Amino acid sequence: MPLFRKLLVANRGEIAVRVLRTCRVMGIPTVAVYSEADRASRHVREADEAVGIGPAEARLSYLSIDAILHAAKRVGADAIHPGYGFLSQNGDFADAVTDAGLVFVGPPGHVHRRMGDKSASRRLMASAGVPVLPGYDGDDQTDGRLLAEARRTGWPVMLKPSRGGGGKGMRVVRREDEFAGALGASRREARAAFGDDAMVLERFVERPRHVEVQVVADVEGAVVHLGERECSVQRRHQKVVEETPSPALSPGQRQALCAAGVAAARAAGYVNAGTVEFLLAPDGTFSFLEMNTRIQVEHPVTEAVTGLDIVRLQLEVAARLPLAVPQERVVARGHALECRLYAEDPWNDDLPSPGKILHLAEPEGPGVRVDSGLDVGSEVTVHYDPLLAKVITWGRGRPEAIERMSDALRRTVVLGVTTNLARLRALVAHPGFVAGDLDTGFIERNLRDLVPSACPPLEAIAAVAAALGVADRGRPAARRAAPDPWASLGRWRLGGEA
Amino acid sequence: MRLRCGEQAYDVEVRPGAGEIEVRLGGRALRFALEPAGPGVFVVRTGTRASTLHLARDGAVVHLAWEGVAYAMVEEREGARSAHRIEPGALEAPMPGRVSAVKVAPGQRVAKGEEMVVVEAMKMENALRAPTDGVVRAVHVAVGDAVAPGRPLVEIE
Repeated sequence: MPLFRKLLVANRGEIAVRVLRTCRVMGIPTVAVYSEADRASRHVREADEAVGIGPAEARLSYLSIDAILHAAKRVGADAIHPGYGFLSQNGDFADAVTDAGLVFVGPPGHVHRRMGDKSASRRLMASAGVPVLPGYDGDDQTDGRLLAEARRTGWPVMLKPSRGGGGKGMRVVRREDEFAGALGASRREARAAFGDDAMVLERFVERPRHVEVQVVADVEGAVVHLGERECSVQRRHQKVVEETPSPALSPGQRQALCAAGVAAARAAGYVNAGTVEFLLAPDGTFSFLEMNTRIQVEHPVTEAVTGLDIVRLQLEVAARLPLAVPQERVVARGHALECRLYAEDPWNDDLPSPGKILHLAEPEGPGVRVDSGLDVGSEVTVHYDPLLAKVITWGRGRPEAIERMSDALRRTVVLGVTTNLARLRALVAHPGFVAGDLDTGFIERNLRDLVPSACPPLEAIAAVAAALGVADRGRPAARRAAPDPWASLGRWRLGGEA
Repeated sequence: MRLRCGEQAYDVEVRPGAGEIEVRLGGRALRFALEPAGPGVFVVRTGTRASTLHLARDGAVVHLAWEGVAYAMVEEREGARSAHRIEPGALEAPMPGRVSAVKVAPGQRVAKGEEMVVVEAMKMENALRAPTDGVVRAVHVAVGDAVAPGRPLVEIE
């Protein structure tokens, strides 16, 4: 008997494809939902059933509680997995799913609300003995009060949307005269992304590292951690490269950090898979940043070293089963890295680069995994996050994981949209990265002036001209081989299925 | 055939032969065999060496990947109009989005790299900067406007 009669994935892109994969393995029938922009998307194709839920605009589709519940009822789903982003950390959604008699794969609404409010979660963590940074988490949100609190905290300060996530609306303010402008921009972004513009202020730590603890808790209150991940390599507060274990931690620090993660989950009354994020200062002290009450984009690196399927754990816990893996049986082996492939232009201020995917090649091989939501023909639109795919590599140690990543990125091809692939390749080859000497300013400091790829070498241009000639005129060189190079066969891969 | 990469133009002559193709380019003659290896994938063999070319066409734009690096070129056909070029000094919207701030006015002097317009797209605010030093001749957008790629936003002289 599968755990659920039918599970609806209330998401799109690579994470929807990822969740569908585990459901398929567990024999759970699946339902995808799609906006008009995603009608022909890969997640739609990979689900057993698919239901349209509205126009491209996320507010009217992937962010519409009514549309998603309506779709679930229509197909008779008894469980909903929210993925990450969209409604995944929306307590009202979690409650609405439960009230409709369905299982929400994630913590209950009140836990989302408690942890989704950065001010309330900061206060809760401080009271549970989990370290937090000096700052302001109060309810008085007037410009005057925030400025006064920023002065009291001391420059530079970090502005964070209280309801935010994923780095949107976050800003470092270094001087008092920049505060008003930064506050306005952060509030606008927060309103647009989260529908709420309340802010938390925290002392900004120079050259911090970002480490986080993966936890899983069951309905009986058992909590295990699956170790930490380091996500220090970021741009604009968005993670770009993640890895586990963190090269920065001694075994003692790791133990203390993971214990703090478990303590945070217990204080939150947490159920299901979640991530407790910490900031690691250069002096080795760590402070609670926030808790993500959902599956995390970078969960595959933890899966790579532990051999566990985190989505499976989520589904089991959601079905009220006790945690299948006690803490002493969680064993991490080797080292794993993840690189996020974004549709954005590294030579033009990282501007989003929408377009149609014209051609794809995904790498494979020992220790290589690709989580992708792409098909040839997929449209990358401005409506959603520019994350295209994730390349994950595992190695016996960090050097082997890096070697495999370097080769995997070299064999990754995405044509039609500009991607950050060149930056990822430069990043994993950088001596500072190889040495593990990371902090959240790494990209800004070391890879800002990425040298644009010049024109292709002459032999490539010659090959292009020949290939275009072949395609246009069907000359003898083309007739020799059977496949028509321009035939549209839909999704395909070099080297077969990954 | 002429292929253009930025300002650089390459005049290429392709002579298919028996088995090998000869391509004349930049005063050189390159000989290789070209084997289709799937949609948009070609193996280029020169003697014992093999390289993989990934290729996709979007109108006159030719996207390619070679040795792990992606490039885009424009194919100029005889008698065809040359590719659309961005006027020097004009700031265009690089992607569809909504203008959330306009920081310059006509007559204002701007320095290269100065923030002129902020466009919100994909939930992010994107600063568009002056491509050159100059004086703002015209501002074509206001806060709240929806902009499409290629639409001129600000002109500088």
